[in-house]
Amino acid sequence: MLWLLVFLVVAMAIQARQVAGVTTFRRVDSLRQERTALEAERAELQRGIGLQVSRKVLGVRAKAELGLHFPEDSELTLLPLLPRRP
Amino acid sequence: MARPAARIGLLQAVLALGALGVLARAAQLQLVQGARWRAEAERSRTMRLVLPARRGWIYDRHGVPLAVTQEYFEVGVAPNELVAPVRDGLVLARALGMPLAQVARDLRTRRWVPYPGPYNGVEVRPLRPLRGVYLTGHFSRHYPAGPLARGVIGSLLPDGSNGASGLELTLDSLLRGAPGATVELKDNRGRTYQSPSRIRREPVPGRDVYLTLDAELQEIAERALDDAMSEYLAAGGDIVVLDPRSGELLALASRKTNGDRSVTDRSSFFTDPFEPGSTAKLFTAGALLGLGRVNATESVNAEDGVWLMPTERGGTRSIHDVHKVSGRLTLADAIKVSSNIAMGKFSERLTAAEQFEALRDFGFGSPTGVEFPSEARGVLRMPDQWDMYSKPSIAMGYEFTVTPIQLAAAYGAIANDGVLLTPALVRELRDRTGDVVYRHRPEPVRRSVTPAVAHQLVRFLTAAAGRGGTGEAAQLANWVLAGKTGTAVRHDGGVYQSGHYNASFAAIFPVSDPQLIVVVKIDDPQSAKVYGGQTAAPLTRTLLEAALAARRSAIDRRRLARPTQPTPAANPGADMDEPPPGRVTLTLPLAPPAAAPAERRAIPNVSGGSLRRAASALHRRGFHVAVHGSGRVLRTTPAAGDSLRLGAIVTVWAE
Repeated sequence: MLWLLVFLVVAMAIQARQVAGVTTFRRVDSLRQERTALEAERAELQRGIGLQVSRKVLGVRAKAELGLHFPEDSELTLLPLLPRRP
Repeated sequence: MARPAARIGLLQAVLALGALGVLARAAQLQLVQGARWRAEAERSRTMRLVLPARRGWIYDRHGVPLAVTQEYFEVGVAPNELVAPVRDGLVLARALGMPLAQVARDLRTRRWVPYPGPYNGVEVRPLRPLRGVYLTGHFSRHYPAGPLARGVIGSLLPDGSNGASGLELTLDSLLRGAPGATVELKDNRGRTYQSPSRIRREPVPGRDVYLTLDAELQEIAERALDDAMSEYLAAGGDIVVLDPRSGELLALASRKTNGDRSVTDRSSFFTDPFEPGSTAKLFTAGALLGLGRVNATESVNAEDGVWLMPTERGGTRSIHDVHKVSGRLTLADAIKVSSNIAMGKFSERLTAAEQFEALRDFGFGSPTGVEFPSEARGVLRMPDQWDMYSKPSIAMGYEFTVTPIQLAAAYGAIANDGVLLTPALVRELRDRTGDVVYRHRPEPVRRSVTPAVAHQLVRFLTAAAGRGGTGEAAQLANWVLAGKTGTAVRHDGGVYQSGHYNASFAAIFPVSDPQLIVVVKIDDPQSAKVYGGQTAAPLTRTLLEAALAARRSAIDRRRLARPTQPTPAANPGADMDEPPPGRVTLTLPLAPPAAAPAERRAIPNVSGGSLRRAASALHRRGFHVAVHGSGRVLRTTPAAGDSLRLGAIVTVWAE
């Protein structure tokens, strides 16, 4: 009788371990799928942002709607950084 | 009738024989054929699968993705397994972007409905909970920046397994990664189950590659080239932008018109050599200066633009100058006004071997070694194959061919105090954790000329792009650039084509502290403007103006903002032995460029461990540690997995 009890306990422990393993495995798989989806979303967004801020889109719109233009070098002023005072 | 005891004995014997037979069969199955049957059972119960590795991504130098690999899915639907066909059909139609009527019809009429797609992870996310909907994933490569730098990046084979061209081919072994494997359980109906107790080898993703290219500068170069082709009615062109201090290629644009008038980008800056024309005069000038065959005051007669050059056979060869000059020209003047006659005369002071070696020292006639699967070496014949016209012809930029990359590298050597560097396309390689496993360092090839000669050549170029020089149209208002124009007659099938030219311009910007080498080549311009000074030089100016105004330019504006800007020398040949102000002589080996960003590393996961172990792990990674609390580590800021530059502080939060 004791042997049967020991057998049942061991069997239940093994079963519980298997169930926990399968559950964790499914959770990991689900997270992997979620990451895949998010990576796809990020790539789509990056592609959209890249297109919208590119010169051929943003430059044309800025010129048409705001009257802006790309500056010539004579219109650029670079301010030199002064050395920090001690 | 036998006695009962005999019948019982017989029955026992039969049973014993039967039992023996069963035992024998069991022994045969277990002991003799055991391995075979075990394998058969394993085969019918399990399924071995290969897990493909994600191919590494390709980024520009600032982390803008240029080539990415993502998991895409095919969708299959078993209509008889759907729990709520009407509702599920609606979800399917929305997710797949298909008309609801068509999906409903598919689900009513067919036993298995395949939707090959491919659909990305976002699109199939609503389908995952649906019973009866099966997703089959596979990796697919795509290029988020569209046509930007596609000739350089290249492509994969149609099956997506390996690189077929460009950097996808050159770096294939690094990008590919290693596939994994798993074993899944299979029931008698063929359904599969993942088992945590089965062996699973995770795939190792390929390494991510950070190129030296600057996506914004690349876009500027490609647009400038497209505009120039339209404006000058050109058949094609190339633009190369290179950092002379590191050899890193910042932008590479190429356009070629095909027979059907379509325009393609086929990386001709690596593969198509051309006769450089006057942009190559500088290299013969370098040989003359380096060997002391000419000094600042020596001059030759410019012959009013037409010189009948005497030949060894007593005849003459007519040499013309586009910019006709009367009087005498020094070597500096010859470069400034691009005089073929003066350069032809000066070249007679060199032996063929000396002129050949000078060109070889600048890298001509040899591949540069850039990471690209196909690179032309150009043609530079051995001196014993030269004829009587070769020395002046080569001094004028004919009789040898160079690729735009070779020309940019050679001008880079002049800007780099005479040290020729190998051009580079790969800036960094990172592994799956974000750790940098390779970073480009400048690779000196040889010293082409002495620093003094290099400085003198820069002065020549400054005058050539200054007031009265052939490259004046390239000059900017606020910064001084140095450069040389070139206009070479094109040849086809060994015959020079009258009226067809390659117009080019090679520039060093800015002259006081060179940051960029720009080589522009326009193929066969057919507008009213055909010379390098009329086409390639203003295109260089346009490109630099756009680069200066760019949001995230490769130009270091702090260096550019320094107030020391030299003006072009009135007489560039007058101070041949004096180095220009503000220049630095490099010593070998070269130090890494100061502008290179600090290395970034991934923060390890130290949660749950002791403070001591956490601090030790973070210090080993090269971070400083700030501690809050004591006992077990709860988390870090930034979190594990984020990347941070070396030497930065990671805050550890403990109990």
